[in-house]
Amino acid sequence: MALRELNFTFTPDEPRPFPVGWSHRGVVGSGDMEVMFEQRDLGGDVQIKVCTPVVGFDEVWERVLDRFVRESQVSDAVIEINDNNATPVVVSMRMRQAMEEARKEAE
Amino acid sequence: MSDWKELEAKSFYGASARERARGIVDEGTFTELAGPADRMSSPHLPVLGEAVEWDDGCVTGVGLIGKHPVFVISQEGRFIGGAVGEVHGAKMVGAFVLARQMYDRIKEEHPDELAERLPAVVISFETGGVRLHEANAGLLAHAEVMDQIQETKGKFPVISLIGSKVGCFGGMGFVAAATDVIVMSDLGRLGLTGPEVIEQEMGKDEFDSADRSLVYRTTGGKHKYIMRDANYLVEDTLGDFHDQLAAIMEAPYDEIVQCRRIGSEALVDEQLALAELSVEMAPKDARDVWAYFGNEDVEQIPEMTTAEFLAVAQRR
Amino acid sequence: MTTEPKIWNTLERDYRERIEAARPYVMDGKVVEAGDAVKLLEAVIRPGDKVNIEGDNQKQADFLAQCLCEVDTEKVHDLHMVQSVLSIPAHLDVFDKGIAKKVDFSFSGPQAGRLAEYVRDGKIELGAIHTYLELYGRYFVDLTPRVALCVGVSADRNGNIYTGFNTEDTAVIAEAVKFHQGIVIVQVNELVDEVPRVDIPGDWVDFVIQAPRPFYIEPLFTRDPALITDSQILRAMMVIKGIYGEYGIQRLNHGIGFDTAAIELLLPTYGEELGLKGKICSYFVTNPHPTLIPAIESGWVKTMYCFGGEAGMADYVQARPDVFFIGPDGTMRSNRDYAQTAGHYALDMFIGGTLQIDKYGNSSTATASRIAGFGGAPNMGCDAKGRRHATPGWMKCGEEYGMHDELVGDLPRGKRLVVQLQETFREKMAPGFVDKLDAVALAENAGLDLPPVMIYSDDLTHIVTEEGIAYLHKCTSMADRMAAIRAVAGFTEVGMAEDPAETAALRERGIFKTPADLGIDVRRANRDLLAAKSVKDLVNWSGGLYNPPAKFRNW
Repeated sequence: MALRELNFTFTPDEPRPFPVGWSHRGVVGSGDMEVMFEQRDLGGDVQIKVCTPVVGFDEVWERVLDRFVRESQVSDAVIEINDNNATPVVVSMRMRQAMEEARKEAE
Repeated sequence: MSDWKELEAKSFYGASARERARGIVDEGTFTELAGPADRMSSPHLPVLGEAVEWDDGCVTGVGLIGKHPVFVISQEGRFIGGAVGEVHGAKMVGAFVLARQMYDRIKEEHPDELAERLPAVVISFETGGVRLHEANAGLLAHAEVMDQIQETKGKFPVISLIGSKVGCFGGMGFVAAATDVIVMSDLGRLGLTGPEVIEQEMGKDEFDSADRSLVYRTTGGKHKYIMRDANYLVEDTLGDFHDQLAAIMEAPYDEIVQCRRIGSEALVDEQLALAELSVEMAPKDARDVWAYFGNEDVEQIPEMTTAEFLAVAQRR
Repeated sequence: MTTEPKIWNTLERDYRERIEAARPYVMDGKVVEAGDAVKLLEAVIRPGDKVNIEGDNQKQADFLAQCLCEVDTEKVHDLHMVQSVLSIPAHLDVFDKGIAKKVDFSFSGPQAGRLAEYVRDGKIELGAIHTYLELYGRYFVDLTPRVALCVGVSADRNGNIYTGFNTEDTAVIAEAVKFHQGIVIVQVNELVDEVPRVDIPGDWVDFVIQAPRPFYIEPLFTRDPALITDSQILRAMMVIKGIYGEYGIQRLNHGIGFDTAAIELLLPTYGEELGLKGKICSYFVTNPHPTLIPAIESGWVKTMYCFGGEAGMADYVQARPDVFFIGPDGTMRSNRDYAQTAGHYALDMFIGGTLQIDKYGNSSTATASRIAGFGGAPNMGCDAKGRRHATPGWMKCGEEYGMHDELVGDLPRGKRLVVQLQETFREKMAPGFVDKLDAVALAENAGLDLPPVMIYSDDLTHIVTEEGIAYLHKCTSMADRMAAIRAVAGFTEVGMAEDPAETAALRERGIFKTPADLGIDVRRANRDLLAAKSVKDLVNWSGGLYNPPAKFRNW
């Protein structure tokens, strides 16, 4: 079965535009993932694309990513994920680390 | 502690390919080429439903050691065991091509300073060799890298660093052997057939791959240092590998290439004599070989720190 | 009227007959050659006997187990195996060959899949699955083995046995069998003139055999720090701050696993930073985990009593006699029976991981196709109702108990903490929280009387996941408990049914706390916090006394 691509768009309540050009984090080990954030003017939205071999967890992805956006309020970014069976806790941790790295870099 | 100091103190064994690439050249000099933002991932894995990585498990780029431009190839063992596929291999070749171009340019623009500006290719291996999902392309990549190494002969050094989790096995074991210098830590492992494959082919009585102690005695940095397969043995930090590279690059090219294992009739004779010796003495364990070359208390060798070992090690 | 005089020593007569049958194979004192072991078993075991092969999750009487597989089935058949574990292939091979037909046991680990298959195919008649203590208890009631095949380190010609620091179950088995006129055969690694210490007196032992190979021992409690993940470190931080610190837990047991290994390696770093040294984790009843070395070396641990030994830890343990229980001979003795009793009555807390927790809080390590059994976890993971002494952690948990007034009225009573550490999803996205336990399907598939539940909801007090801690014992109703479980269940099916308003209310009541509520900076949850990052680091902490098995040495 081929790799699958999932696409989501979220609109945070109090958008905080992504502060740097791009930020990358993670290694696609087993049970892990990499994530790339790229600045893009999306009028306060954030777009997320997930590339994954996993089937049957589309709703879980949506909920995990929705919570990340709610907690970080990140906006105006295209986020791409290469996943290899990362669990929700790993996804949340990697996303948060990449976000914090970017915000630290912007300071 | 500054970020740089923290990076230099970091374990080479536990470092990611990207951290290694940054940490083995001088502070702040590394520029990644064909990095994740360029999204050069494998075209073959998606069809097979296998996860991809934007750098295809191979970090490439350039940095400086002193005035030497150092082209870095750093393999990531966590992505499919660091196995070499088409893009991964092409990036390795690309680093060699850029190094050769740099060599030609320096020769032309700074003919008097060629020695102190001499480029190098440094490969931080972490791989089992060919990626089975794209085996033909992977094999071809091995051949191309071998070709590239030949192209560097007489020009600039190619240096192997081996000290990561996966070690350096399979076809890439050959590639490492063909480079000019090999630097290892005692956690590094170098070989052709991986331990699991030996066990699978020859049986558990011949080689128990779960016996990590045995695996290290047979393929690990200390053994390779005694056998002179590894030229230098260093402590397991990025800083120690970095320092060793800097020391190597200070030497003139002709001296550096004295480290080679192959490439002359004399070296071929030497290797053949070793093969003969192994038949003759039929060692049951690497410890027998260590003792043969004059090491005392061979039981204790695995337990020694790198410094303790270097102080007493007798090499062949 | 005349009656035959009643015979009161049939067991002894039977015993004498069997010993007589074995006489041709006895060499010197009680010594039998390894080559005669099969014949010895054929001489002393009778069809239908209850037979025990000693073995637990660590050491195995593997030579004798193999010999039992080789007996003539004309002479020996239809045995009823009564033993702690079904762990090595030989334990099930005896059923393949028709040597044995029934089993009562405690834990099956590696053979769990095969066991389920044999039970389904009618190859094995399953008595019951027990906890260790429960099975030991039945050795003295209705499951006394007629013959026990035991294991020790060394023996003298009179049958005195030295078990080394892996005494484990030998004492309880030998005592039950010998004091009911049964036969005790012991395989040892070596025969010596004088044993360093008598663990099993020679008059409890009928035969000793020097096995051709040292007995197998599994380094079950060794966890390589290199494999500990960030999410395990996060849960460990929550446990140390939100449970150990909160309740002042001084006396505890740690189960097997990377989660508890992470806690152990965080004591000298994060625990120290929180100022908890001396206030928590002073007394352990557990196996000598190598990952506890940094905490012991940093002066955290006052004493540690052990269920068994652990491969490679003997020299270290011996060199720390104030901490471990060391005999006059200078080596440690372990005893699973006493450790289980201590775990049940003398500890304030059990903490461990599991496979599945259901929406009510019942947990199990069973899957639909594997009969894994229990081992000792249920003895540790329950509130011992017979406990009568007070300690601060036990009292605090009792004070907070939401059902206390309903069940006890206004008298004070403590409650033991039973904590489950759970990742909401394991690898390959296997959910840690489920609507219905696989154990229920297993019970149906294998025809068990009841689903094998490791820890029941009414004993469970806390669940820790990366989402936070559920303080379940504070709940006043099942509806509360279920809501608290949904709050920690993350993005599993159970967790997705969470009502955010309900979770907010639980946070108000202190029943659910997130890492932020606990004042934990999630960013710090990474491997830099570990006191040791590799097996080599553990060796260095031990000053070279820890001697890890070859499979853990990357040097």
